[in-house]
Amino acid sequence: MPEVNEGLESELALIANPSERGHIRGLFENADPLMQRISYHLIVGDHNEVDRLTVEALESGFDANTILDDGLIAGMALVGIKFRDNIIFVPEVLVAARAMKAGMTHVEPILSASGVEPLGTVIMGTVKGDLHDIGKNLCIMMLRGAGFTVHDLGVDTKPEEFIDAVMEHDAQLLGMSALLTTTMPNMGKTIEAFEEMGMRDQVKIMVGGAPLSQEFADDMGSDGYGKDAMACVELASRLLEEAKELQATMNPAPTP
Amino acid sequence: MPFAETMTPRERVMNALAMKPVDRPPVANPTNVATVELMDLVDAPFPQACRDPELAARLAATGHTELGFDSVMPYFTIIQESSALGCEMQWEDKDNWPTVRMQNPIWSGPEDVHIPSGFLEHPDNQTIIKSIEMLKAEFGDRVAVIGKTMGPWTLAYHVFGVERFLIMTVDDPDMVMRCLNQLKEISVLFGEAQIAAGADALTFPDHATGDLVSGDYYRRFLLDIHQEMAERLRVPLILHICGNTLDRMDYIAQTGMASFHFDSKNDPQAAMDTVSGRIGLVGNINNPQTLYARGPEEVRDEVFRCLDAGVQMVAPECAVPLATKLENLMEIPRAVRAWCAERQGGG
Repeated sequence: MPEVNEGLESELALIANPSERGHIRGLFENADPLMQRISYHLIVGDHNEVDRLTVEALESGFDANTILDDGLIAGMALVGIKFRDNIIFVPEVLVAARAMKAGMTHVEPILSASGVEPLGTVIMGTVKGDLHDIGKNLCIMMLRGAGFTVHDLGVDTKPEEFIDAVMEHDAQLLGMSALLTTTMPNMGKTIEAFEEMGMRDQVKIMVGGAPLSQEFADDMGSDGYGKDAMACVELASRLLEEAKELQATMNPAPTP
Repeated sequence: MPFAETMTPRERVMNALAMKPVDRPPVANPTNVATVELMDLVDAPFPQACRDPELAARLAATGHTELGFDSVMPYFTIIQESSALGCEMQWEDKDNWPTVRMQNPIWSGPEDVHIPSGFLEHPDNQTIIKSIEMLKAEFGDRVAVIGKTMGPWTLAYHVFGVERFLIMTVDDPDMVMRCLNQLKEISVLFGEAQIAAGADALTFPDHATGDLVSGDYYRRFLLDIHQEMAERLRVPLILHICGNTLDRMDYIAQTGMASFHFDSKNDPQAAMDTVSGRIGLVGNINNPQTLYARGPEEVRDEVFRCLDAGVQMVAPECAVPLATKLENLMEIPRAVRAWCAERQGGG
C-alpha cells in the first residue's frame, strides 16, 4: 500500500476539506519517497535541502519532469491550500517559493533543452504608476508552482509594455495588478490599448489587487478577477482552457 | 427636538480618544482625506502639497473647512520619514500617491539602521512639522490636529523591501527584533517633534496586516514595541493597520494605545466585541467600493452600521482615493448627525 512520509502526513492533517486532502494525498502517494522528501522540504521552506535533494534526484536518474510534477508542483499545491486557509501567511509562502526556485534552477534548463511545452504562458505586471508588487509576486510564485511559464514585467508597467510582451512571448494570458485606488483605472486603459491595437481577442486578461472587486473587473472589460494568489491560479487555468477552446473553434482540425 | 452640538470638534475628538462622553461621535481623518477636488479648490496639488509646509497646511485644513470633519492632518502619505532616511522616491503627479521604490532597498540589516544627522531637519519631515505648527496656530483649540509617525514594521518595508523583510522574519527573527527596536527610535523622534509642534494626537501606522502576516506575528514582533510606544509618546495614539486584523485585535487591545483605526474588511460589531472596551475604534467606511464608487446613500448606511456597533470615531478606513467625490466625504458628518438625531432622540 502506498505511503507518504511522516512530515507530509502532518502537513496533510492541516487540510480541513476531506476531498481536497484526499486529492493531495494521492499526489504524494503516487510519488517516489525521494520526491516526497522534496515536497516536504519545499512546504517547510528549506531551500538548501530542496536544492540538495533535486541534485541527488537528477544524479539518481529521475527525469526533470518527474521532479517538477511529483516533487516541486505537488509540494506547492499544499502550500497554496495552507495559504488560502490562513494556516500560513506571506512570509511562509515566500520561503516555500524560494525553495521551489532552488529546485527549478536545476530542473528548468533540462526542461527547456528538451523542448517540453509549458502549461501556458502568462505575462504579469503591476500597472503604470504603481510600485507595489507583493501581490503580483505571490501570484507569479503560485502560477510557476502550478507549471505556468511567467514573464514578470515588474512594477509601473505601461500599456505598450504589456502589449509588446504579449507579442514577444506569444502569451495566452495577461495578469495585471494594482494596490492603489489611483492606479486601478490604468488596468482599464491597458485593456483599451489592446482593443485599439486589435489584439483584445488574442489574449485573456485577468486582474487583481486589494482595492479591486469582481464588479470593477467586469466594468473595465477584463476576462476575470482573482481575489488572491490561489484564485489567480484557478482563474488562469480556466482562462487557458477557454483560450484553447476559442483557438480550436477559430482553427478547426481538418476532418478526415 | 433637533440634535444639539455642545462640544468643539477638538473636545469631541479628544474625549472620544479618552473614551469619555461626547455630544456626538466625532468624524476624523487619522490617515488622509485630501482629494484632487480639494487640491484644486485651494490650489495645493500633489506632490507639492506633500513637500511644502504652507501647501500641506492649506490642503489639510480643508478636512475641517470643506468636509466638516472634527480633525485636520497634514500628513497625506506614508513616505515622509522614509524619504528623509534616504529611500528612493517616486513623487508622481496630482492624481497619484507618492511611493517609496521598495524594489531598491537602502539597508540590509540591523548594522545599517541609523538615524541620519539632520533627520528632523530634512525638508520632507519639516513639511509636516511646520504645517502642524501652522494648523495649530490657525485652529488653536477648536479643531483636533492629528500628526502621524510610521511604526517600525512599516519603516522596515521601506528600508529593507517588503519581500526581503518578510523572508528575514522567517530566517532570523532575532535579527528582525533588533532591526525593529532600532527603527522604533525613528518613530519616537518624529512623533515627539510633531507633539512639540502642537499635535493633539498621533496616528501610528504599522502595517502588520492579516493580508501579509499572522496574528501571532503581531504578538511576537510588535505587541511589546507598541506598548512601549504608548508609554513613550505622550499623546493619544491611534494605531492604524490595513486589511484583515480581527485575529490580532485582542493583542491590539492590550497595547495601551487610545484607539485603533480599522479596515472595512473587519465587521464593526465583531471588532467592537473583540476589543471589548479596552481600546477605542476608529473607522471603517469602505474606500474603493463605497466612498470612491458609490453615493451618499451607501455612505450613510455604512456610517450607521459603525455607530450602531458603537464605534467611537467615524472615519474612512484608510487614505481615501484621490478621485473620491466630495459629496461622499461630506456625507459622513451629515450621517453622524442624522444618526444622533434618529437614535438618540435629539441628542
